[in-house]
Amino acid sequence: MNHESACYEIRLEGRIDPRWAAWFDGMTVSTHADGTTVLHGQVADQAALHGLLQRLRDLGLPLLSVDRAETDQPQRKLS
Amino acid sequence: MAGSLVETKLYRPRIRPDLVQRPRLAERLLREAGTGLTLVSAPAGFGKTTLVSAWASQSAAWVSLEESDQDPLIFWTYVLTALDRAAPGVAEDALAVLQAGPTPIETVLIGVLNELSVLPGEIDLVLDDYHLADGLEISRGMTYLLDHLPPQLHLLISTRADPALPLARLRTRGELVEVRAADLRFTLDEVTSYFTGTGLDADAIATLEERTEGWIAALGLAALSLRGRSDVTGFIHDFAGDDRYVVDYLVDEVLDRQPEQVRRFLLETSVVDRLTGPLCDAVTGQPGGRAMLESLERQNLFVVPLDDRRQWYRYHHLFADVLRARLLAERGDITELHRRAAQWYDDAGDTIAAVHHAVAAGDVDHAADLVELAVPALRRDRQEATIRRWLDDIPDDVVRRRPVLAIGFVGALMAGNEFQGIEQRLQDVERQLAGPADELVVVDREELDRLPSAIETYRAALDLIAGDLAGTIDHAAVAIQLAVRGDDLTTSAASALSGLASWAGGDLEAAHRGYAAAAAGLERAGHIADVLGCSVTLADLEITLGHLRQAQATLERALELGHGVRGTSDMYVGLSRIAWERNELDVATDHLRRAEELGAASDLPQNPYRRRLALARIREAEGDLDGALELLDAAIKVYVGDFSPDVRPLTAVRARLLIARGELTAAQKWAAGLPDELSYLHEYEHVTLARLMMARHEDAGPLLERLREAAETRTGSLIEILVLQALAGRDPAPLKRALKLAEPEGYVRVFVADAGPMLQRLRPASPYVRTLLEAPRRQAPVTTPQTLLDPLSDRELDVLRLLTSELDGPSIARELVVSLNTVRTHTKHIYTKLGVNNRRAAIRRAHQLGLLTR
Repeated sequence: MNHESACYEIRLEGRIDPRWAAWFDGMTVSTHADGTTVLHGQVADQAALHGLLQRLRDLGLPLLSVDRAETDQPQRKLS
Repeated sequence: MAGSLVETKLYRPRIRPDLVQRPRLAERLLREAGTGLTLVSAPAGFGKTTLVSAWASQSAAWVSLEESDQDPLIFWTYVLTALDRAAPGVAEDALAVLQAGPTPIETVLIGVLNELSVLPGEIDLVLDDYHLADGLEISRGMTYLLDHLPPQLHLLISTRADPALPLARLRTRGELVEVRAADLRFTLDEVTSYFTGTGLDADAIATLEERTEGWIAALGLAALSLRGRSDVTGFIHDFAGDDRYVVDYLVDEVLDRQPEQVRRFLLETSVVDRLTGPLCDAVTGQPGGRAMLESLERQNLFVVPLDDRRQWYRYHHLFADVLRARLLAERGDITELHRRAAQWYDDAGDTIAAVHHAVAAGDVDHAADLVELAVPALRRDRQEATIRRWLDDIPDDVVRRRPVLAIGFVGALMAGNEFQGIEQRLQDVERQLAGPADELVVVDREELDRLPSAIETYRAALDLIAGDLAGTIDHAAVAIQLAVRGDDLTTSAASALSGLASWAGGDLEAAHRGYAAAAAGLERAGHIADVLGCSVTLADLEITLGHLRQAQATLERALELGHGVRGTSDMYVGLSRIAWERNELDVATDHLRRAEELGAASDLPQNPYRRRLALARIREAEGDLDGALELLDAAIKVYVGDFSPDVRPLTAVRARLLIARGELTAAQKWAAGLPDELSYLHEYEHVTLARLMMARHEDAGPLLERLREAAETRTGSLIEILVLQALAGRDPAPLKRALKLAEPEGYVRVFVADAGPMLQRLRPASPYVRTLLEAPRRQAPVTTPQTLLDPLSDRELDVLRLLTSELDGPSIARELVVSLNTVRTHTKHIYTKLGVNNRRAAIRRAHQLGLLTR
């Protein structure tokens, strides 16, 4: 398991506003027609990932999936 | 630590009168017998705290946990303090043990569990927001607590994430009651009841229930949004048709309807965890914070009071997170707010909070200043774990410019047994000190001069841990040489390390010099408890060296110096050992009784086992071998080591007792792992082996002769070896030599125990030998009549005697073949008659009244 920085894609149930991006350490927030929201971006390491998941937990946002993004997709789409 | 408790964390929140009654949950939470743990596990905003607050009795022990509680010392201090307030006296000793020094958590908890297990009443312990404290170290203690949970204690944990505890096991055994999100959601009936009187029709209520899925925080926000709104139908329609994150939507609705001043206040003050008027004023730069908080409370705007005096509040957790996210999105830069909070906390003397906000403000230099100044006090209070956490917050390049801070971190790391990379850090600091002075950042100037000596002292400690005794002694010598005049603490630390290394190497004279220097320095520095700690070792060395009188003087001097400070009872245990060597068993018993009366608060961490060991020796001398064995086993159970070499292992003491009991096979098993090579470290064990061989009628002569040669400089050891040689060789000569050595110091026990018959044959019998032969048998103690108005019954006396043992409530019940409830009833009567409220106090009182003499 690689503990270095990697891209992650976190899918949530419900629509959250893009202005939450700053709260999630600069992850991009995109909402989808199926009523889900995807957070996407670089996560420094496992500790940072767990911190992020904890923030979602604290907001009571239901988690649908957490994926390591394969490629170095556009890391920070300014929204 | 005791002085810096945050009182609001122990405050049980009040229940709002307008609460929806939830009988279906109240029923679930009934405290059924045998239910070890009640777990309320659900995300934020599900009404956990409210539910638990309704569940807990008025006198519940309540702790609202925070992230800083991941430090076991802080966590258990709060938990034990809460328990002690709920049932005065139950955790007094455990708290003292916890704060006395590094002790396994099991040792700390065993005391409070023993107290709780005979508690006449019941007690609720609530750990709210447990997810904030959960972690490996906390889990270990909590699992132990759950495994030994007395029926009197009802434990309730509320958390956002399932705790790392053996839940599956408790579940299978039916010892777990769980309330989860699905249970906590408001049902349609409850939503209806919640909106009673608002004029909403059934359709509207059904819509709200559906859109919020019964999430209580969301319903609360919806109620706030509806307040004073004319177009209720429109609002509900819009809300239902929107698919945004429900809390996001509703907070917008609530915030947008607040006056600008209130909105700003809510957003800006969301950066702090706990709110109080002056802090809010500092953060917002506006007056009127206190009035604002009271007004928010009246409007039910998501502030939760944290005390009964309207001083401290917090925002509802979920609401606070949304406010913070909103603030971040609107302002972008919120460092100024954190900077102001840091300043306020710094002025208020709360360094931990000040550092937190300084770091959040990106003001690492300010944070580093605060940490550097806070280190000495935190180390004194043994809160190294707190210092250790800051290491992650302050970047390396900042630490690298600050030699005093860097050494502070080294101390904290080593206190936490993290030795990796320490030498690198020390070299970094040396490089800094060798470089240009104007590049150094130092707040604590006085500390700077102490660094060269401190660095060498840490190197001595590293060597000792690595087992390099010569290196330890060398580095300690350099440290002492480099120490600035008057730096008694560093000199003492180095001297003690050097003494330890000499001790482990068998050079007892050098060890004695090291410890004596350390004790003198500590006395000058005013660290009296540490002087007492050193005195234990000094007396030990003196006894082994054959200076019984000097050992007595050392302990008596320490008592004079520090009567009442921690370690006092250790001095009495030491004096008891000396009286035992002189075979003055009544004096020895008296000293132990005094130690016991002082209570655990005056024990050093090792005293619990030392005390039992001392009492076991007396019992053995009295011929009560069963009692002695029981006590030794109890001693082994509470054994705590320190850095000192374990030169008299309890297992070897036990083996001697087994030999005395004739259990030679068991003793033989003990002997299996002994090294062949003689060294001072194993001397006691090898003498024990010689005793075993003699008991088995094997020839111990050669072994004893080798032991004697090795022990020539240690008169205390030598006396015993010579006595054994005399017995093994049926030769009075070594015995005569032993007598000559022992007479000036007054050793008696070693002769009385083993050499009685041979002494009788010594001609001519010197006055000393005659004294030995007449060594008084212990007199049966005179029973003091009870002076209680309402004397204890025989049964109560039985229970009282068992209360002085190691047994917990259920074991006492088994011993007396009664139910635990009966034990508790007896205990209740005993406590009432003795006018006490806990086990320890009952034992103390019983001793004073002479109720326990046999």
